[in-house]
Amino acid sequence: MKYVLLLTRGAWQDDASSEDQAAIYGQIGEWFGKYYADGTIVEASKLQGPHTATTVVIENGSSMLIDRPLLEAKEAIGGYAVVNVDDLDAALALAQTWPVPDGKVEVRPVDEM
Amino acid sequence: MIDRVFREEAGRLTASLVRLIGDFDLAEDMVSEAVAEALVRWPRDGVPDRPGAWLLVTARHRALDRIRREERYQSKLETVAALSQEVTREPDDRMRLIFTCCHPALDTEVQVALTLKAVGGLTIAEIARAFMVSPPTLAKRITRAKQKIVSAAIPYRMPGPAEMRTRLHRVLTVIYLIYNEGFITTAGERGTRRELVDDAEWLAGLVAAALPDEPEPLALLGLIRLSLARWDARINAAGDLIVLADQDRSRWDQRRIDSAVRLIERAAGMGRPGPFQLEAAIAAVHCESPAWEKTDWEQILKLYDLLAAIDSSPVVRLNRAVALSHLAGPTEALAVIDALSDELGAYHLFHATRAALLRSLGRPGEAEAADSAALSLTTNPTEISLLRARLA
Repeated sequence: MKYVLLLTRGAWQDDASSEDQAAIYGQIGEWFGKYYADGTIVEASKLQGPHTATTVVIENGSSMLIDRPLLEAKEAIGGYAVVNVDDLDAALALAQTWPVPDGKVEVRPVDEM
Repeated sequence: MIDRVFREEAGRLTASLVRLIGDFDLAEDMVSEAVAEALVRWPRDGVPDRPGAWLLVTARHRALDRIRREERYQSKLETVAALSQEVTREPDDRMRLIFTCCHPALDTEVQVALTLKAVGGLTIAEIARAFMVSPPTLAKRITRAKQKIVSAAIPYRMPGPAEMRTRLHRVLTVIYLIYNEGFITTAGERGTRRELVDDAEWLAGLVAAALPDEPEPLALLGLIRLSLARWDARINAAGDLIVLADQDRSRWDQRRIDSAVRLIERAAGMGRPGPFQLEAAIAAVHCESPAWEKTDWEQILKLYDLLAAIDSSPVVRLNRAVALSHLAGPTEALAVIDALSDELGAYHLFHATRAALLRSLGRPGEAEAADSAALSLTTNPTEISLLRARLA
């Protein structure tokens, strides 16, 4: 069963000292390394900062552009991982190990129909 | 009685079918159609010898009709067609169902509704009435939850030993919420709903029987029984609530109290204390006291200290302060309670408790203001009439 983990940015990315940030990024690197190696993670990426986002809004068939991310900066998506695990319990357990001091992880099953 | 047999059988069958066909919705639809048919036939033709088998045969039949009509179920055709008359029952089936209904990935409200529907066999209309939501809204919530269980692959199993403690606590909390809504309603025209307390007792008994080595389910069952033992003394002929201090203790059901206390003692003997054991022990101290004046407040305060150590919620601290007031006096208790005003300002019993203490301190003006605040915050009709009587 495939799930996408949508990883939000955390306050630590703005507030933590650069040494602390480096240490956390180190742990994140290890986390990805571990779960890539055992085949849990199918695909994952870190996204560039929310200030680089453009949102396309489509209404009545015509579109306009907005110079900001879809979600509020507080909950802006910082990255994602597609994982392959047995069930929701396994996906939630994995999300709970995401090694950051603060942030949110949305766990959403992939529609594989 | 026919009702209980019936709901037992329907609940068991649903639990087994969810495991066998792996589709919560279809399993429930199958059973509810069979139940609808049984409701017509059984009163007329009598209850069949093997009600479970009868329900299965009927359910399978209806399901096959339905699969032929509805595209979304086509993929289940073979599984359902292959169901034999003897659905293998696994003793854990209903526990799997109850743990799935109370999965932490679902909202608490939905956990309560799903448990009542899938495990307890209540209809949408009954649950909607009990919790004062519109039946279509409730039906939609339940449908969504069942879809989530299937689509997100919430596993249909008992939790492993590592998660057992927290998951079991959640299941028991859901049962406690059902009990509590029956004990003192938050919605509707009636102050209490005895049928919800009976359902909660039945559910707690189910879990206690399935997990005999766990102390907390036994304690919750004991707690609910203690409440049932005092039921008739708690409400007067007019339907008004009688507070514990004013209840006629000779009307308490002593046999039920004894059986509840045995359960609570058995739980305590396992040497793994928990919140439901402590709450049940507190209720037991009240039930074993011959008169309100003879209540063993020291014992109750000790139990609240233990409870506060594992559950630091402000409501526990409020109740502890009530026990304290009987030992150290109202002034000291009031100081403790006043410190909770930020956290409990919207809780009617915070104000009602303050009012009682202020009254005993000879401060009627402030007591009245506190009772008025309590009155504006409760929706329970029996509490409203109790508070109105105090203010009159």
